[in-house]
Amino acid sequence: MRPKAWSALVMVLVLAGGLGAAFGPADVKVHQLDNGLKVLLVEDHDIPNVALYTFFRVGSRNERPGLTGVSHFIEHMMFNGTEKFGPGEFDRTMEFRGGRNNAYTSLDLTAYTDWFPAAALEHMIDMEADRIQGLTFVPEVFESERGVIASERRLGVENDNDAILQENVRATAIMAHPYHWDVIGWMSDILSWRRDEVIAYYRTYYAPNNAVLVIVGDIDPAKTLALVERYYGPIPKATPPPPVTTAEPPQMGPKDVLIRKEAQTPSFHAVWHAPAFGQADFIPLFILEKPLLAGDSSRLHRRLVRDEQLAISVSGGMQPTLDPYLFEIFVKPRPGADLERIERVIDEELARIQADGITEAEFKKALNILRSDAYRELETIAGQADLLGTAEVLYGGWERAFTLVASYEAATRDEVREAARKVFQEMNKTVGKLVPEGGAK
Amino acid sequence: MTSRTKCVPAALVAAFLILTGPLAAAFRLPRPEKISLANGMTFYYLRTTDVPLVSFQLYIGGAGSAAEPAELEGGANLAADLLLKGTATMTADEVAEALEFMGADLFTSAAEEYVRVSLESLAEHFPRALEIAADCLMSPAFKDEEFRKERDRRIDQLKAIKDEPGQAVRYYFQKAYFGDHPLGRLSSGTEASLGRMSAQALKAFYEARYRPARTVGAVVGDIEKRALVALLERTLGKWRNPAGPTPAASLPPPPRPRGPRLVLVDKPDATQAYFVLGAPGYPMGDPITAAAQLMNTLFGGRFTSWLNTELRIERGLTYGASSAFRSWRSGGLFTATSYTKNDKIGEMLDITFGLLRKGSAQGFEAAEVESARNYIEGQFPPTLEANGSKAGTYVRLAFYGLGFDYYDTYLAKVAGLSPEEAKAAAAKLLPSSDFVLVVVGKSSEIRPLLQKFGTWQEKKVTDPGF
Repeated sequence: MRPKAWSALVMVLVLAGGLGAAFGPADVKVHQLDNGLKVLLVEDHDIPNVALYTFFRVGSRNERPGLTGVSHFIEHMMFNGTEKFGPGEFDRTMEFRGGRNNAYTSLDLTAYTDWFPAAALEHMIDMEADRIQGLTFVPEVFESERGVIASERRLGVENDNDAILQENVRATAIMAHPYHWDVIGWMSDILSWRRDEVIAYYRTYYAPNNAVLVIVGDIDPAKTLALVERYYGPIPKATPPPPVTTAEPPQMGPKDVLIRKEAQTPSFHAVWHAPAFGQADFIPLFILEKPLLAGDSSRLHRRLVRDEQLAISVSGGMQPTLDPYLFEIFVKPRPGADLERIERVIDEELARIQADGITEAEFKKALNILRSDAYRELETIAGQADLLGTAEVLYGGWERAFTLVASYEAATRDEVREAARKVFQEMNKTVGKLVPEGGAK
Repeated sequence: MTSRTKCVPAALVAAFLILTGPLAAAFRLPRPEKISLANGMTFYYLRTTDVPLVSFQLYIGGAGSAAEPAELEGGANLAADLLLKGTATMTADEVAEALEFMGADLFTSAAEEYVRVSLESLAEHFPRALEIAADCLMSPAFKDEEFRKERDRRIDQLKAIKDEPGQAVRYYFQKAYFGDHPLGRLSSGTEASLGRMSAQALKAFYEARYRPARTVGAVVGDIEKRALVALLERTLGKWRNPAGPTPAASLPPPPRPRGPRLVLVDKPDATQAYFVLGAPGYPMGDPITAAAQLMNTLFGGRFTSWLNTELRIERGLTYGASSAFRSWRSGGLFTATSYTKNDKIGEMLDITFGLLRKGSAQGFEAAEVESARNYIEGQFPPTLEANGSKAGTYVRLAFYGLGFDYYDTYLAKVAGLSPEEAKAAAAKLLPSSDFVLVVVGKSSEIRPLLQKFGTWQEKKVTDPGF
């Protein structure tokens, strides 16, 4: 099964002081402008390039019916023109100066990721500051981009059976909270977003006091901060966005999703309500994910893929979110596999963990995997920028980037078992199955 | 759950790593030290200490899919995977358990001309991880039971691929373009070839083809040279060439299409139609490389490329459109690819053909060429930033005999390219009438839109094979 993009987010990171990395809290220069923009700067001259990441505290979590998918749509529109730089000029200028960019939207945040040669720094700061409040949403461009998103949804969901099932399962498990819909949004909303509503949404969430700017690489921090002050300083702060108040009510019993669809292979997806990043059980469950699901030696891979040969692959786990989300298990079953049997095997393995916890060796393995992942992210300026911004927005502060491994090490096997007992209950579970039908015509 | 603004095809990124890469004046590929083992194996080594990690890479020439017998299609790749499924001293579970316990990642995969082995590990665990990797490489067990599990899993994966038209179209294209040529062998194998295979046949392939004499490696990371040399000598240094002559490892030149060849694959539940168009490229190390890469950057190699501008940015027909080159020792391939909703596939192909004609006939403006030069130069340093990127580059350059100054020369060439040279590359490499075009989609809806392009060979996604 193709890992979904969210796995990148799941990589939680790192570095306790004792780990001996060259990168530590003292390397981060922190500043907050009067308009509320938080700025994090790291000087690193290994390559003559810069990673400039901008994080906005807005994601599908902030949307409502009718406007689902709009956070991601605005992410696209951010490349489509302001008063100062017309449609397409951001990309053309950036590529002319040797730079490249991308952006991503998650449940909780939207991030803009720029990679460019050091000489392009001032141009990039100029263009990034400009688009915080300068988008024009030219109607023809708005319609064209709507088509792009529809194509993205057809590619990522409607022509991908696993994704169809996953969207159904998540929407069934989560009833009230805006995590009910996926980041891409419902097709009918994509096809009917109104320009004035989109603009109102943009004005609400795109403001310096709702953003974090991270610049890592071949920079002079003092000069860079002066440029940031010059271009971002004049942008007024906005009224803080309204809080998300909807809480998911407790699930009252197990839920099932069954999809019958033309397909060559079945799909399987199971989820349980799970804590947000800031809640006590998050880290024990994040540790549990490794011995349960990571790699060929994990318990579920061994049983489902190797021993019983019910599945082609298995993956999943936790992702760090602001509000409670899900512990997910994705299985790609073999054609003709008994999907009930797959569900029973998963239940048995979870029951074993609830009874006996994980072994000391499994606990150490999880820590080794988490440390390796952490260092790998620190290998590149892009990885460092992503880590710092994500920590600032999702983990409760950029400093958390440097204490996460210590948090993992401080967790205990008892906590892992207790968290498993709380989360993996029938009352908490939603299971989805896609069963192939028809096919040969 | 994450959605991205820009789709970045994996193939495109790989192409950049492999083929592109001018050196910014301020930045050059750090030169590695050469380590020669007593058994003749060569390693390239660079010490880095930013993070306590070590990256290891190895190419085994002549063990890739181009070397597999036609009846063992997919066998090279399956043999490479089976290296990790048990050795003379460890079971498959023990190998996985030991490596994963250390947080180490060991991958093996067969490309066309070589098998690649890569290992990434925390520095403190690297010696043990390399011992296991060497054991896998030097004494794989090829147990019947492990072979059967992996083979059956692959047969199932082939079905899953057909559920995803975006993936399936690449498999159909590879078959349509290369046919019986060794480059037409699917790394996944086919149901027929997998059914014919045996652990014994793969073991024989391994014994004939895996040789230290055809292997080159690199190690980059936080490890001292003396310790590394001792570690390599007592692990891979013990690997001996098998008796018997070294089998040939040459790849015949890829086929060149004559006239348009059109293939339509029916997938009745598809709501988008996916196309891949291909034509001859150029061989690895060819003098046209710099001009071709610059031309492709402008045609379909970046976000503001012609293809993505016309199909996505201007018209909103698709989430992504791109083109790329791939090169082997004896030849290369150009492909352009995109997808759109069923009723727009005719328009999408008209535009694509129009851009191919424009590239050859008009070429590119001076400002565009300058932009592409800057882009290639500016995006080069990050491709060498991580330990694994450096190690991969050393091995690739050494394997193809390109020299560690390859990118220095390449950058200098890119920096001096003129619009005339970009146009000449377009005229030579962008196809006009000799190409292969494969479309996967709902035939009943898209057939009428495709008729004007010529006569299509029709297939069904439910037919066996590709």
